[in-house]
Amino acid sequence: MARVKGYPEALEKKLRDQRYYREDSNPEFLPKVKGISRTIAHMCYQCGTCTGSCPSAPRSTYRIRHFMRRAVLGLENEALTDPDLWLCTTCYSCTDRCPRDIAPTDVIMAMRNLAFKRDIVPVNFLKTVQAIYSSGHGVPNNDVNRAARERLGLTRDPPTTHMYPEYVKGIQKILDHYKLKANADRIVKEREG
Amino acid sequence: MAEKKKAGSKKMEVKKEAPVKQEAKKQAAPAPKQAPAKAAPTTGSKEQPRIGVFICHCGTNIAGSLDITAVQDYAKTLPNVAYVDNYKYVCSMPGQEVIMKAIREQKLTGTVVAACSPRLHEPTFRTATKEGGLNPFRFEMANIREQNSWVHMHDREGATAKAKDAVRIAVAKASLLQDLFPKTVPVEHAALVVGAGVAGMQAALDLSAAGIKTYLVESKPTIGGKMSQLDKTFPTLDCSQCILTPKMVDVGRSPNIELMTYSEVEAVEGYIGNFDVTIRKKAHGVLTMAEADARGIVGGGCNGCGDCEAPCPVIKPNDFEMGMKPRKAIYISHPQVVPLLYTIDFDSCIKCGLCITACGEKKAIDLEQKDELVKIKVGTAVLAIGYDLFPIEKKTEWGYKKFENVVTSLEFERLICASGPTSGHLVRPSDGETPKRVAFVLCAGSRDNTGIGKPYCSRFCCMYSLKHAHQIYEKIPGVQSYLFYMDIRSFGKMYEEFYYRIQDEGAKFIRGRVANILEDPVTKNLHVYTDDTLLNRPVDMEVDLVVLAAAVQPSEDTNRTRKLFGVSCSMDGWLLEAHPKLNPCGTTTAGVFLAGACQGPKDIPDAVASAEGAASAASIPIHKGEVELEPYFAMCIEEKCAGCGMCVNLCPYSALALVEKDGRTVMEVTEAKCKGCGTCGGFCPGGAIWMNHFATPQIVAQIDAFLLGGEQ
Repeated sequence: MARVKGYPEALEKKLRDQRYYREDSNPEFLPKVKGISRTIAHMCYQCGTCTGSCPSAPRSTYRIRHFMRRAVLGLENEALTDPDLWLCTTCYSCTDRCPRDIAPTDVIMAMRNLAFKRDIVPVNFLKTVQAIYSSGHGVPNNDVNRAARERLGLTRDPPTTHMYPEYVKGIQKILDHYKLKANADRIVKEREG
Repeated sequence: MAEKKKAGSKKMEVKKEAPVKQEAKKQAAPAPKQAPAKAAPTTGSKEQPRIGVFICHCGTNIAGSLDITAVQDYAKTLPNVAYVDNYKYVCSMPGQEVIMKAIREQKLTGTVVAACSPRLHEPTFRTATKEGGLNPFRFEMANIREQNSWVHMHDREGATAKAKDAVRIAVAKASLLQDLFPKTVPVEHAALVVGAGVAGMQAALDLSAAGIKTYLVESKPTIGGKMSQLDKTFPTLDCSQCILTPKMVDVGRSPNIELMTYSEVEAVEGYIGNFDVTIRKKAHGVLTMAEADARGIVGGGCNGCGDCEAPCPVIKPNDFEMGMKPRKAIYISHPQVVPLLYTIDFDSCIKCGLCITACGEKKAIDLEQKDELVKIKVGTAVLAIGYDLFPIEKKTEWGYKKFENVVTSLEFERLICASGPTSGHLVRPSDGETPKRVAFVLCAGSRDNTGIGKPYCSRFCCMYSLKHAHQIYEKIPGVQSYLFYMDIRSFGKMYEEFYYRIQDEGAKFIRGRVANILEDPVTKNLHVYTDDTLLNRPVDMEVDLVVLAAAVQPSEDTNRTRKLFGVSCSMDGWLLEAHPKLNPCGTTTAGVFLAGACQGPKDIPDAVASAEGAASAASIPIHKGEVELEPYFAMCIEEKCAGCGMCVNLCPYSALALVEKDGRTVMEVTEAKCKGCGTCGGFCPGGAIWMNHFATPQIVAQIDAFLLGGEQ
């Protein structure tokens, strides 16, 4: 580090990125991603069809091709700490069109899994967990929605846990089994105090 | 022309089956050792077998993965083994000398070499065995490389044990091997070339120049193939038609080439040297001058004047112009067709007879013409059946056949070609306007593992797309081209330099595979979406015209034709060569060769080179005048044969027949036709069929040796 002494932190970080293949890469990362995603993540040839198909890419800094590259090279920290990881809408356009028949969406999902294991997850995702725990819905029904449903001749609440709140308990049981709620509460507390 | 035709047809009529058998018998007669084998093909000679085993290290290929000394020590303990040795490379000259010396000094009766696959060195070791003084078929090979050391690289013990098994099995067979004598058959002094694209034409020209009568069969009414549809060729930019038409004319004029256009191979029988091929000459509806002459119409027949075309009321799309230009039901595809002969498309002809009136005194038109089957006899055949474009509309994201201004590269060739439907003015199909921004989509359907595209690289699309970019810069001032690519593969001679030149002319290269294309419904402009992977930026580019460099695939008729000739294909459908590096023109069927893109995507230089290779290979047996056949044919043990004839129907090569002998009906094998497949021998309920070199006792001995683990 002496070599870059006195440089701003950002530059130091940039220079560190250039050595990914020696120090930052984790040979276990790719097998883990492949194991969870059940797709041939190592076969990516970086054609860009995924990013070109991505509805998120033109509107954000999210580049799914970068995550594929990081998977191939085992850049675990870089992949899991990049906030863009959470910008995938899971529309599966990339998976539809990938000429190598890889499922990039599933690679992203695998990386999110691995990130959550290290508590790297945005608070809004955790709040979604809390919402599901309390109501059974990530986006609970509200009055505007209820009015719209009535206009369409539907019941005010959909035939889900909203209509049958007694089933919320079952959902809670599942979330508790995986300690999802407890972890979400803990992390939110750590971040927001 | 008429004389040539007559000479040809005369030859066709002569059935030449008899000389083959006579020749075979002549060969058999002076070989005294064969007589006992034929009379009593049971367990071979009475002498005690003395087998020599030679174990090859193949450098470290074999020795690196298994214990040679252990295998050698083991081999010494096997029954009938008289001598065991090992050598670093048994295939080398000194290695072969080891075999020859051992045969002489140890009085061996058979040899076993444990080394690579018989496909590589069986001929080598057979020759060594022969030079040592034994019959070459007294040799057996144990494959301990491809099927052992290479696949069990990290299991030394297991590999050594397996090598011992392989050697034991080989010794068991070698102990029972008999002397065999190959037959020779005469080779018909004629060749067949299927497909008259640039590869087929080149092969036919070479064969005919070598003095061989060559039948050139083409399914379309004209020769020339895909190359005649191209405007220019990379990287020299010479006009495709200008360099092709002289060859087409040569083909039409060569006295040794009998051109059969609008014809298809219907059936193939026989074997190398003696293929009997049935050709279906589809009804042209138009008589050539020679045909008219034969019918006694003096000075008649089609001279290509085109008078018939004008009155024809039927209009159809012209396939040659990719459907972008009309043709009549009586038509020629383009002005430079060879032969210059009109063709009636009987699927659309309404038989109004207006063409007959227009043709007048020439009386060239015969609306009642029927398909004709012609039989020819050839020594060897070259398949040059070419390729087709992949139906790129299957990749729905690029919108071909959905958006008017998305065209394929072959359509682009016609649109930019001076003799094409627009006289060389590139226009947008939607409004006829000249495009100012043109996108080229490379790898369209190639290098695609989704199951909808093709997994291989189509090889020439990079280069022709560069050429397309050049052509629009040449013709349209102020035009801009964008090439969306994954890798530019400019692998050939002067190709990289061509890439440099096109970039210098202003073509923009965007490294990103096109994700999808959408159409602006008002302007009919197209939005090309991709990721500029080098800038790391998603791209939405509006262009006027999109050209898809569509993948190529084997031509439609490939599967039918290859089955007629018994040629295999690889997983992706391309015809399979005998060896990709060392026998690229040959096939696993002796006497059948491959030329051009039917074997895999090839550009023009490669197609022509392979055609010359195939022609050369196909001419060798013809010039030699005879070929040696492997003596693996079946033999009938007449005392055991009940004459049931079941085997006759089973034989895939029509090599068997029932004959009367000494008042009994027995089966007889036409040895030259038999391939030794064993179908008959495996079936025969009486055990009356003896398969040379794969005889039941020999195979049983192998199985015993394997199952008994050497504990005999």
